[in-house]
Amino acid sequence: MTDTVQQEAKRLAQLLIDVAADPKAALRAHLAGGRKVVGCFPVLTPDEVVHAAGMVPFGLWGGRKNAVESTKYLQAFCCSVMKANVENGMTGVYDGLTAVITTAYCDTLKCIEEVWKVAVPALPSIPFVCPQNRKDPAALDFLESAFARLAEALGAFGGRPVTEEALEKSIAVFGAYRAEARRFSLAAAQHPWTIPAAARHGVLKAAYFMRKEDYTEILAALNDALGQIPDEREGKTGVVLTGLMAEPNAFLELLPDYGFYVAADDLVHESLQFRADVPGPEAGGSAARRLAMRFVGVDGCSLLYDDEKRRGKRLIELCEAHGARAVIACMMKFCDPEEFDFPLYSKELAAAGIPLLPVEVEQNMAGAEGLRTRVQTFSEMLRFG
Amino acid sequence: MKYLGVDIGSSASKAVIVDNEGVVVARWLKHTGVGVATDVIETVLAETGTEASEIACTVATGYGRKLVPGADEEIAELSCHAKGARALVPKTRTIIDIGGQDAKAISLDGYGRIQSFAMNDKCAAGTGRFLEVMAHVLGVGTDALPDLAAASGTDIRISNTCTVFAESEVISQLAGGGSKADIAKGIHASVAERIAGLAKRVDIVPVVCMTGGSANNSALAACIGKELGAEIVVPEWPQMAGALGAALYARAIL
Amino acid sequence: MEQETSKQMLDRLLAAHYSEAEAAKREGKLVAWATSISPQELLETMGITTVYPENHAAAIGARKNAEGFLARSEANGYSVDICSYARVNLGYMELLSSPAGNIPLPDLIFCCSNICNTVIKWYENIAKELGVPMILFDMPFNHTYEVEEGSVRYMKAQILSAIRRLEEITGARFDEDRFREVMRVSTETARWWKQASLVAAAKPSPMNGFELFNYMAAIVCMRGKADGTEIFRRWAAELEEKKARGAGPWKDAEEKYRILWDGIACWPYLSDTYKVLKKYGINMVTSTYPDSWTILYEAGDLDGMARAYSSNYVNRNLDFGVNNIAGLVETFSLDGVIFHSNRSCKFMDFRQLETARQVEARTGVPTVLFDGDQTDPRAFSLAQYETRIQTLAETMAARKGVGA
Repeated sequence: MTDTVQQEAKRLAQLLIDVAADPKAALRAHLAGGRKVVGCFPVLTPDEVVHAAGMVPFGLWGGRKNAVESTKYLQAFCCSVMKANVENGMTGVYDGLTAVITTAYCDTLKCIEEVWKVAVPALPSIPFVCPQNRKDPAALDFLESAFARLAEALGAFGGRPVTEEALEKSIAVFGAYRAEARRFSLAAAQHPWTIPAAARHGVLKAAYFMRKEDYTEILAALNDALGQIPDEREGKTGVVLTGLMAEPNAFLELLPDYGFYVAADDLVHESLQFRADVPGPEAGGSAARRLAMRFVGVDGCSLLYDDEKRRGKRLIELCEAHGARAVIACMMKFCDPEEFDFPLYSKELAAAGIPLLPVEVEQNMAGAEGLRTRVQTFSEMLRFG
Repeated sequence: MKYLGVDIGSSASKAVIVDNEGVVVARWLKHTGVGVATDVIETVLAETGTEASEIACTVATGYGRKLVPGADEEIAELSCHAKGARALVPKTRTIIDIGGQDAKAISLDGYGRIQSFAMNDKCAAGTGRFLEVMAHVLGVGTDALPDLAAASGTDIRISNTCTVFAESEVISQLAGGGSKADIAKGIHASVAERIAGLAKRVDIVPVVCMTGGSANNSALAACIGKELGAEIVVPEWPQMAGALGAALYARAIL
Repeated sequence: MEQETSKQMLDRLLAAHYSEAEAAKREGKLVAWATSISPQELLETMGITTVYPENHAAAIGARKNAEGFLARSEANGYSVDICSYARVNLGYMELLSSPAGNIPLPDLIFCCSNICNTVIKWYENIAKELGVPMILFDMPFNHTYEVEEGSVRYMKAQILSAIRRLEEITGARFDEDRFREVMRVSTETARWWKQASLVAAAKPSPMNGFELFNYMAAIVCMRGKADGTEIFRRWAAELEEKKARGAGPWKDAEEKYRILWDGIACWPYLSDTYKVLKKYGINMVTSTYPDSWTILYEAGDLDGMARAYSSNYVNRNLDFGVNNIAGLVETFSLDGVIFHSNRSCKFMDFRQLETARQVEARTGVPTVLFDGDQTDPRAFSLAQYETRIQTLAETMAARKGVGA
């Protein structure tokens, strides 16, 4: 019985992992289905607005491309994610997208929008600037007008007018997606055998490329299947992953070799996307107003101003809540906001007695063998310690 | 019975055999690293006059630890250096290991368990490779660097840490008439500064022990000690610390 | 008694700036750490002693003392890839002693993101580490050519919130009349700063442009003070006098080429970078960076103030960046442009390559880019710099039809 359920879970997970492994195929499928697709830059975009305009939001988080064409615009010390985005844009990887929404969460991203206009003229960009002083009430007004501008811009590219009703519907669709994603995060943690670290990442990543309705349906079935499989954690060590994103896959594939599973994540690319919901009608205000509240409510992210610096506290809470013994920080090379947060949470974790392993990653690194010694030493440190 | 530890590094391979009491009964060293033949265990046994049947357990470590068929287990070099250093210098709390490709700093608790560690990233600054490149620019072998530095009165500071930039800085110092001895001293200071930067990311508690082949470079050890404000203890056979740790793990495992 | 020169006044007032801050701290008065282009008008109005860590870090760099501070923050886990002003300051925060002068620890952080998001991260950390309040002015990046009205409303709201928070923190009332006066003085100082810098448009320029880097300390620290206005009024007069005499930038050399320097100086190599330029007869007559403090608006106009702060060139789009430099090429009769690809400042860097191309295409003047850093001495190669400058000099010579 468990065997069949496990096979079913693996099959469902693989469906999503395959999507994550080949976003280009997902894009082709959307286009073949007559859907308009809009690229969305890191780290947070108002995807509900895109959805309400009748278009498919499609995450653009770099890739394994080496910088060749993009060196015309970006020095070597630009982060690999943004180099890859520009490279992809310049080399036709994103062809077929109707437009891209760029963001301004860090100094690099601000420049990328400016570079994009020149480097990828065929693919129009719509800048979305999220305010940083999010606790100031004026931030909500600012966001609302930013959403309105975005809706208007999408309209120019064939998007439907974003009505209140449509936006409410989209908010519901995304609410369902986020709820299932959170359920999956818990279920995957209990089943490191069926869903090892790299599979967990692939399942969550697929959300960026699929219609949320389709994605949520498969994910819910996967969650149901996982719910029937007994706990697989025995003898394994839970860790919390933090950082911008846990790529390349080769790094995640090292973790099971040393008995590690992902008990929870604090990655911008993963749980930040589904950690906070759009508040319900009881919060008051229009759909757009409540969508703005979600942006204001997300905390503990390196790319969003947080005068209380809740990140360290969050990590400690995550470890406690999910039985994780340690934290692995995936340090994306040249990601300043992440590099600024590291010393502080590293001090807080040390004070809490939680071991921390920083690993420096770049999306286009040749492999992760260079990181093997670190991961292995870390496992030995926990084992022999 | 006896226990074998094999340490396949990036530029040299080392082996140590210990007896039931953990006493070293044989040492073996070859100046070939990961390219060493797959029958390295047989070679070690033959060259140390050991019968295969005498070895109860073998642990492989080092950069090429996965390339040792016949090993019972593989353990990362940091764990092995920690164990080896503690055996050589019992009160060790901090270990600095400069290898050909990377540099490591390890902090141990009072029981010799690893508390934290730091390794340099891809950058060659502060590694054996950096010294090699700079020695080449000066037209000497890496081994000759310490003696050259010892002859210097004042060091010429090499401020760049990027190997490519530092190389051009050394060249322009030479072109500007700087003495090789002073530059060599500056090169040591530069590496020491990088290593100290790395080491400060872990807790530096005495005794600070330096392992790895570069520990034999007394000029470098002295510079690092100065940067850290701590005395650096270099054990006999520092490059054997990893293999020794591996052998001791082999003994403990069984 | 002879009147002090602007330089004597600058030195005296800077020394006083630092010693008064230390005295204020000793007396238990509130000390703020502010970013260099923040609405200091609010702090000045409240009479809060303010120091500028960027300015301090630059001074430490120029004194060739950055390394100890860099080492300290790197030991604390800060990556060598982040801004070196931040690393120097985060190191200083613990070491608290520098031959370049000292600044007391803050009781309040005053941070404005019109210069980068990096300052948000940097000061967020300090606020947390020291447990002091932080006031943030978020100035959204202007992807449109002009500042959008939605941004103005958001920024103005933040200024009003900041005033309320300052009243809470100090327990004192915010004096609107005084605010108006400080706004007037700040704009006046900025006007004279601009006025002085424009004298360099004369040929030859009576100013050696590296002086801009020296006087910058005053425009950062004293923009809201009458003394600040006076420094630049005097400096402008001195330069006008030199210009009237037909004097060039140097006594012992002739100005052959006139260039713009894009980006922050390499403080640890200030004299090295300067000497190489001078060797080829190159005078830096203007720079994009110092114009950041030309913050002009009508006293009492909060919208105008918000817009002016947001209009800092780094916070504006590529088209503005190109137009700005192309305009300066014209105004200052430039022969070339030098871009400092500054490892510390990704915000300035990642538009430079395209800006350089467009400026060349638009104006025809040659450009050159070199690798360096504002305060980390380890990320600069004098040999590379000299080679690039020599190449630029040769290109400029060929263009002028001399020396070829």
